[in-house]
Amino acid sequence: MSDTTWQGGMADTREQKEAAPVQFPSPVPRPEGELDELKRIWRAPRGIHILSAVNNTYVGLWYVGAALMFFVLAGILATIMRTQLAQPEMRLVGHELYNQLFTMHGTIMMFLFAVPMVEAFGVFLLPNMQAARDLPFPRLSAYAFWAYFIGGTAFFTSLFFGLAPNGGWFMYPPLTSYEFSPGINADFWLLGIGFIEISAIAGAIEIIVGVLKTRAPGQSLDKLPVYSWAMLIFALMIVFAFPAVILATLLLELERAFHWPFFIAERGGDPLLWQHLFWFFGHPEVYVIFLPAAGMVSMMVPTMAQTPLAGYRLVVLAIIGTGFLSFGLWVHHMFTTGLPQVSLGFFSAASMAVAIPSGIQVFAWISTIASGKLQMRTPTYFLLGFLFIFTLGGLTGVMVAMVPFDWQAHDTHFIVAHLHYVLIGGMVFPIFAAFYYWAPTASTRPLSERLGKWSFWFMFIGVNVTFFPLHIVGLMGMPRRNYTYLAEMGWGPINLIATIGAYMIAIGVLIFLIDLAKNFRPFQGDAGNVWNAGTLEWLPSGNYQTRSIPIVTSREPLWDQPNLARDVEAGRYYLPNAPTGGRETIITSPIDARPQYVLQMPGPSWPTVLAAVFTAAFFLGVTVKLYIPAFTCGVFAVVMVIWWMWDTDPGPSSPSVDIGGGLHLPTYVTGPMSHSYWAMIVLELVAGTTFACLLFSYFFLWTVNPEMWPQAGGLPSLGWPAASAVLYIVGSAAMFIGGRSLARVPERSAWPMRLLALLAIPTFVGAVTLEIFGQLSTGLRPSESGYGAVVYTISAWQGFFAAVLVIMVLYTIARSLSGRLNGVRRATYDNTQLLWQYATVQGLIGLIVVHAFPRLLG
Amino acid sequence: MEMQHLSLSIGGMGIRKCAAALFLFAVGACNESEVPAEQRVVGGDPERGRTIIDTVECGVCHIIPGVAGAHGIVGPSLEKFGHRQLVGGVAPNHPAILTRWVKDAPEIAPNTGMPSLPLTEDEARHVAAYLYTLR
Amino acid sequence: MWRLISIHYAERVMVHRAVLGLIAFVMLSGCNTQQSAFHPGGPHADRVETLSWVMFIGGGLIFLLVIVLTAIAMFVAPERRQWMTNRRFIIWLGIVFPVVTLTALLVYGFTVARHLVTPGSPALRIEVVGEMWWWRVHYLDAQGTQRLVSANEIRIPTGRPIEFVLKAEDVIHSFWVPSLAGKLDMIPGRTNVYRFAADRPGIYRGQCAEYCGDQHALMAFYVVAMEPNDFEAWYAAQAQPAAEPVVTQLIQGKELFLQNGCGACHVVRGTRANGILGPDLTHVGSRLSIAAGTYPTNVGTLAGWISSSQHLKPGNLMPSFGNLQGEELRAIAAYLESLK
Repeated sequence: MSDTTWQGGMADTREQKEAAPVQFPSPVPRPEGELDELKRIWRAPRGIHILSAVNNTYVGLWYVGAALMFFVLAGILATIMRTQLAQPEMRLVGHELYNQLFTMHGTIMMFLFAVPMVEAFGVFLLPNMQAARDLPFPRLSAYAFWAYFIGGTAFFTSLFFGLAPNGGWFMYPPLTSYEFSPGINADFWLLGIGFIEISAIAGAIEIIVGVLKTRAPGQSLDKLPVYSWAMLIFALMIVFAFPAVILATLLLELERAFHWPFFIAERGGDPLLWQHLFWFFGHPEVYVIFLPAAGMVSMMVPTMAQTPLAGYRLVVLAIIGTGFLSFGLWVHHMFTTGLPQVSLGFFSAASMAVAIPSGIQVFAWISTIASGKLQMRTPTYFLLGFLFIFTLGGLTGVMVAMVPFDWQAHDTHFIVAHLHYVLIGGMVFPIFAAFYYWAPTASTRPLSERLGKWSFWFMFIGVNVTFFPLHIVGLMGMPRRNYTYLAEMGWGPINLIATIGAYMIAIGVLIFLIDLAKNFRPFQGDAGNVWNAGTLEWLPSGNYQTRSIPIVTSREPLWDQPNLARDVEAGRYYLPNAPTGGRETIITSPIDARPQYVLQMPGPSWPTVLAAVFTAAFFLGVTVKLYIPAFTCGVFAVVMVIWWMWDTDPGPSSPSVDIGGGLHLPTYVTGPMSHSYWAMIVLELVAGTTFACLLFSYFFLWTVNPEMWPQAGGLPSLGWPAASAVLYIVGSAAMFIGGRSLARVPERSAWPMRLLALLAIPTFVGAVTLEIFGQLSTGLRPSESGYGAVVYTISAWQGFFAAVLVIMVLYTIARSLSGRLNGVRRATYDNTQLLWQYATVQGLIGLIVVHAFPRLLG
Repeated sequence: MEMQHLSLSIGGMGIRKCAAALFLFAVGACNESEVPAEQRVVGGDPERGRTIIDTVECGVCHIIPGVAGAHGIVGPSLEKFGHRQLVGGVAPNHPAILTRWVKDAPEIAPNTGMPSLPLTEDEARHVAAYLYTLR
Repeated sequence: MWRLISIHYAERVMVHRAVLGLIAFVMLSGCNTQQSAFHPGGPHADRVETLSWVMFIGGGLIFLLVIVLTAIAMFVAPERRQWMTNRRFIIWLGIVFPVVTLTALLVYGFTVARHLVTPGSPALRIEVVGEMWWWRVHYLDAQGTQRLVSANEIRIPTGRPIEFVLKAEDVIHSFWVPSLAGKLDMIPGRTNVYRFAADRPGIYRGQCAEYCGDQHALMAFYVVAMEPNDFEAWYAAQAQPAAEPVVTQLIQGKELFLQNGCGACHVVRGTRANGILGPDLTHVGSRLSIAAGTYPTNVGTLAGWISSSQHLKPGNLMPSFGNLQGEELRAIAAYLESLK
């Protein structure tokens, strides 16, 4: 692989537009049997083994299907609630069930439908749009899917045992802590969220690396589909937003299980800590859901209007801007908590500012429609419905960003109406448009235009009939989350109207499901480019995606390169074959999509599925307090992960392979160019953000209860943290030197590396242990005070890393002993070391904060 | 029992409840039976009676079809009250007795838990008239 | 209750009804309550209501603009919609327009907010403590000492701002009287202070707005605004201990009240009932509601509540007293009802 060769390749394709004869990277006719070979390699396993498939065409569709199932289930819960509210003082369901219903409805819609659905579409669509053969970590996608599907289903069934959580989807303590929610209902919520945290993070890593590193050659950032942009920002937002909720759920579970008082005011905690952490996640979450949907809209509108998107750069900037701004508005969920006026003003302004990027997108879509001619097909109906509903939701969003107005509207049915307008408008309608729009890429038959329009009208009218009146009843004084209301309040008629609307939505969804049952035929091929779209997902494809991987020279290659589909199918472009003999895709550079190497990818895997099953069983077991089976399953989960990892990191199958056009690419790369390095960096961003949230909790509790913080004399003597720091540094150095010595393997023995890595384990474990003993020596106990709780949590977090690193180091050594690790094939060691060095820095920062900050206070 | 409730709603309570009844798909035979002559309360207006029952919250102690939130368990359920033989288990179920009873039950049954209620004679008649529509 | 709404308000509705007919229609059909941001009874709610209508109308116009532009983009002849296809269209409507309108709105909003937070020195300080699922009310003097204890009902003089000191006993609640002001949370470990006033005498209903567990839906209260003179008279009467019963049934009721242990949780000043777990009942008969705004106070609802409180509001701290004889139940209810 060299720059000059690649530049030559580009030159070829640019010429091709102007002058014939065209020069393609791969000569035709292709050798006999090449396509069959490709099909064989990418074929999904048969029979029951189909469940072990990891290919995005399978996992992506299952994922979409599971998310759709949760949408329907949560929708059923909603219709039960609306029926209960149809009349005052109805007795269809009691308060116990009702409180579980709204908690489950909110939680499932947010965590088991919305986020997984957009992620699922990403898994399914991104490789198509970027002409990659698959996402870079197919087994990770499969794991994320199975953990989510099994965990989510178990979570839902808690409803049938009366064990479903009942604290509302944002679970404010102290109501949800052990004193006021002694049952395991709240733990089920933490369980459900735990799964979605795992699968969201896994998905985010997959998508970030996928968007940045697996693109069609030439598909530089300025030619990237808007959807890919949206998914990239979406995934980055998950990386920075989810850690807050990961930490929040962790703290709440520690408080519930061990009575560590993070949120209990009389023991130095503060209920508002939860609210800050939750909404620091919760507000970006709204845009996490909306941005991918907006990205889809930006793909569909141009196709339906048969013209390129107007203001591409502005739209991309708007998406990035939304991502940034969304982290600055979480307090607008807390306008009524009595925060100082100044901070309210700031967050009010920020909340309004976020309307601007949405405005840019809305007018860019309108401009696109004006530039072309809108085809009135089913996706268009849903897109126009989206524009209508979302605009209304955005406008009420500006209203609630006004602090004085929010004081009235907050926690009433006005908010219920607003959030449903935003989420149904901003996410559900685009998703339904997407179902109709992209179904032909997944099914041999498109969905029905007639049923689709019926479905649209029921849903569109239903949504407005349900939710518009709720604005009014909210300001008429009806709070949200009330299982009943008194007849004399006069809210009955409006509620009845809203309930009728809810049934209309249900009918609309039912019609859609009938359409799916009648027409959706997946896994057998596609229906072709029925909308005459311009982007790569409309190329003819199989499990291997495209026959050959095209060179992209514009944003709508299918419009600009008229014979592209034919040439791709003929195998004229890159990688028309499988030179390594296995699954592979081209890894490209992040900015200009220059081919860097050929990634050899793993195939179907049972251990991946089993790892997810055991992970689910572990969390479930812990939730229902069956600790021994739970930990057995936990051990099995780790074993399965190791088994699944064992045949990844294959090493170079040959020094380089020819992918066509004279381009010779390596088949194995380590270091900053490699996909696994990027993935580890993303994982560290997640860990680092979680740790930052933990430090925020430390300082936040200090501002609330400074008197709980010890005087300098109350801290462990400095010897403890000093010894701990020395151990961290020694371990870190051992890993570093071990890495250097690995470079000289096999000329030298691998034993120095193995011994150094082995030595590093006790240093890290020792460092964590010393810190804990130091704190214990002062008599501080975690359940005593908010201070104690947060200090020990910092150590516990470090302890979690110790456990992970021990497993990783032992795994690394095992690979070395079995001959799977050497100076070239060293990605495993590099990743272990990357995480190790991160954990060392994290540990040192923790020591500094815990031991220096109180001393600085004097 | 549910059916009875809903059919009554259609008969006596206007469009709101009718719509609710339809909405709940409770489509069935509406056996709207007339109140028999011996249970007619002179000067009693069932609809006003229902409003009074709602305002005084008789439903805190009784289940009363057609009154929102009337699901009390302290006293007897008033479902099918028109068919009840005795008032409060002690006196014949006649309009004159019922009118006295709803106003001042302890006068008829000194051991009852039902307090004397601050109703006028006319209000008592309305209430009684409503109770006789429960069939 | 429509009659209670001031001319001022009615006029405003007439004006806006033309613009937002649907909202006005549905709103008026449910106007028989005083728990509504659309029925302001004081300057705080009044200002916010004006702000609301400004935003409803402004928002409605912007919405209309988007719809009209979309229609033009779809249906007008291509040559006449050329102006919509360039970048300037997106920049003007997507950036310049929102920046200008939102800035204007923000400035207006800040002005409103500033007026709301500084409404003058308070006439009275009242501490309200949210508990699962009722409201403890303390009237404080200048030193912050409790002068009078009540529950689920707050009486205030009209025309002067009242300072509400908001606390929570167990979980988070939210104090909201829509007709008088927006809501403010009651958070364990924190004290929030809120000042607002009622312009004219009236009964305004409030309700807990932060989900607080099983009976969140049945956690309401009344604010009764009285002419200052009436308020003084009421206050003086409430400061008295409970009236000593003279009628046989009431004397018996008082005895039974004490015998059955009601005093372990309730205070009736002037008797030996001094429990503080539940609401103060010294003048319970004079209050509009029992069970936190759920039922009107009368001898029947009192009897029903005593006998079946766990059925009526499951999970609340008061047990159902199913052990009482009929006459006993009536006597206790009558006694409580007599505590005017």
